[in-house]
Amino acid sequence: MRLHVVLRYVGFVLLCNALFLLIAASISALKAEASLFPLLYSALVCVLFGVFPAIFVPPSKHITNNEGLIIVVASWLLSCFAGTLPYILWGGEFSFTNAWFESVSGYTTTGSTILTNIEALPLGLLFWRSATHWIGGMGIILFVLSVLPSTGIAGMVLYRSELSPLARENFRYNASSALKTLLTVYVGLTALETVALLFCGMNLFDAVTHSFATIATGGFSPRNASIAFYHSPLIESVIIFFMVLSGIHFALLFATVFERSKKLWQSTVVRYYIAVLVVGAVIMTIDIHGSQFQEWSQALRYATFQLTSVGTSTGFANADSSIWPPLSQVLLLLFSLQCACAGSTSGGIKMDRVVLLWKALGKQIKQLQHPRAIIPVRLNGRHIQEDAVSASVLYIAIYLFLVSIAAILLIALGVDPLSAFSGSAAATGNVGPGLGTVGSVGNFSHIPTMGKWILSLAMLLGRLEIYGLLVFFLPPIWKTKANHQSLDPALREFV
Amino acid sequence: MGLRIKILSGFLILAMMLLIAGLWSIYEMNSVGTSVQRLLDDNYTSINAASKMSEALEREDSALLLLLLGKWQRGRTILSTADSTFNEALEMARQKTTIPGETTHLDSVKSTYAAYKKLWERPIVDTAKQGDLDWYFDHVHTSFLQVKAAVNNLMTLNEQIIYQTASELHNRANRAVMPGIVAIIAALAFTLIFNYFVNYYAVNPIVRITRGVKQFVERRLPFEVAIETKDELADLASAIKTLSALVHMPEEEL
Repeated sequence: MRLHVVLRYVGFVLLCNALFLLIAASISALKAEASLFPLLYSALVCVLFGVFPAIFVPPSKHITNNEGLIIVVASWLLSCFAGTLPYILWGGEFSFTNAWFESVSGYTTTGSTILTNIEALPLGLLFWRSATHWIGGMGIILFVLSVLPSTGIAGMVLYRSELSPLARENFRYNASSALKTLLTVYVGLTALETVALLFCGMNLFDAVTHSFATIATGGFSPRNASIAFYHSPLIESVIIFFMVLSGIHFALLFATVFERSKKLWQSTVVRYYIAVLVVGAVIMTIDIHGSQFQEWSQALRYATFQLTSVGTSTGFANADSSIWPPLSQVLLLLFSLQCACAGSTSGGIKMDRVVLLWKALGKQIKQLQHPRAIIPVRLNGRHIQEDAVSASVLYIAIYLFLVSIAAILLIALGVDPLSAFSGSAAATGNVGPGLGTVGSVGNFSHIPTMGKWILSLAMLLGRLEIYGLLVFFLPPIWKTKANHQSLDPALREFV
Repeated sequence: MGLRIKILSGFLILAMMLLIAGLWSIYEMNSVGTSVQRLLDDNYTSINAASKMSEALEREDSALLLLLLGKWQRGRTILSTADSTFNEALEMARQKTTIPGETTHLDSVKSTYAAYKKLWERPIVDTAKQGDLDWYFDHVHTSFLQVKAAVNNLMTLNEQIIYQTASELHNRANRAVMPGIVAIIAALAFTLIFNYFVNYYAVNPIVRITRGVKQFVERRLPFEVAIETKDELADLASAIKTLSALVHMPEEEL
């Protein structure tokens, strides 16, 4: 492992963060806020740490898979650390633990907060908070790669390291085209939602920050009451529409808009995703009608918003769902485990794996009936390899195990079981709000310090799809030497 | 880029990080000092003035009771002294108006006091008002309570601001300390990275060049040292390689 090469690429990531810190600092400067210095100094530290390796280390023609993986995980960890700087320099509610929690929650697009009074923060810091969502939503490395000029093979390795195999599934392009696709959809959706929210009467700052949070499926709002602040069914409808879009594989959205492809409508995963959201919203509407809302239209409005928000791992709130009937709460919990499609900015187990799980279950039942039959698992008409199905099922098992472990640890720290389990599921799934005391209108400020660190780890594990972070901390990856043999076989021919 | 500039950039970055953190800490510390001074100058003076007004009001109330009892001389002396104390304190508070809404409170004190004063400015002793407790409780005491409430409101406002400023001071002190802590941690991390780079891109090549030269001198092995960067060390390696090639050449070819 060549540390200098890793430092060079991680430096670029810090420079990307510095750019957004400078934008936030400009907002503070315009509004003459006291957050100008914390933001400027954080930007300076990021610039210095980013520029220095670029000065010292000459560009590298290639990087190994292990180096790619280390760069990706180190970029996430260092970005989260860089993200804490403006918070701890600002002070107020931000102790180091709180700042770290808020930063990790931002970058991993979780949207859980420790702030009890969000509106007390200056606009510059609020912008930075939302910007962490936007940087993290697309994937820090992918974001940097799409901005940097050609990075050649190294870029391809980083692209493969950042994007999970499941997310790569629908990208039938090379790395460079895939990055352009991602960036086009990401920026396009953000711009469209900003304009739509402006038309709905939101001010520019709120429209931009809410768009950042929606498209990244984050959930940070600059308002204490989140979306409930606006009391606007129109704003809620716009946000629901963009939350649903942000939960779909970006390549499918790109193909539908720019290539007039019908893949989106033919995709089993997307159909399942939409169907599950519709069925869930209907059940929840029936459940909360009468007990919570007397009018059907009101019940439909709040059920659809809350379910879509949790089901896409966004985490906005337009009502206090922690006081809803038990069936609705269980539904929200299930949706916060499952979330949306791979290849989107959404977190959680992902629809693709859930669909594969059902298919594997179906296959197993058929296999019991016809023991000698060869029954393939098919998705979108394509045969799925046995090991891919097993990997998905194993991932779900490990995911649920981690959620349970985090919940048990939280309970041991004195958190009530409902808040502990839902909080842990919401953190691992990068959803944001859970149930109980960490519900849609609550926050995580009362969670014990150790609990906040556990939840931060859960958020990172969820965002890096577990294996990435685990492999990072295993010694073998650091010991491998950068030689031709350690390169990805597909890349050797280029070197 | 030359090695000299690279190393210089490292030191410059380190110095810049510490310098800016230091300057910022000084600025924040200075702000803390200014805030404390402002706290004492403005709010404390206003609270002190409100306290004096309150005390003067109490004395005026006692003086009015003396007048009701027919003790004109003592009553009027106390009233006169307390009235000047009240007016001085009111003027002092007016000069230190710094909080939004404070002027409204001061206007309220002034108007209620004017109404109160109107009640006892005219003679009381040897008039129908002497010994009239009903008049005292219905008019004078009610008016007295109104002025007192206005003065208390002024005091409460200033106390609230003092509490807010004190909380802000805590935050400011934190802001003054944090850049230093961040700069120290960043400088430590930067030093480690800088040391690694200097080792990797300066010390290691020098060691390899030295080893290459030794092997050439002792065993006449060809000088083959590859330098990754394009700096002074690469030039040195290239120069030694040329030199070694010259040494290998037969004398007639030189």
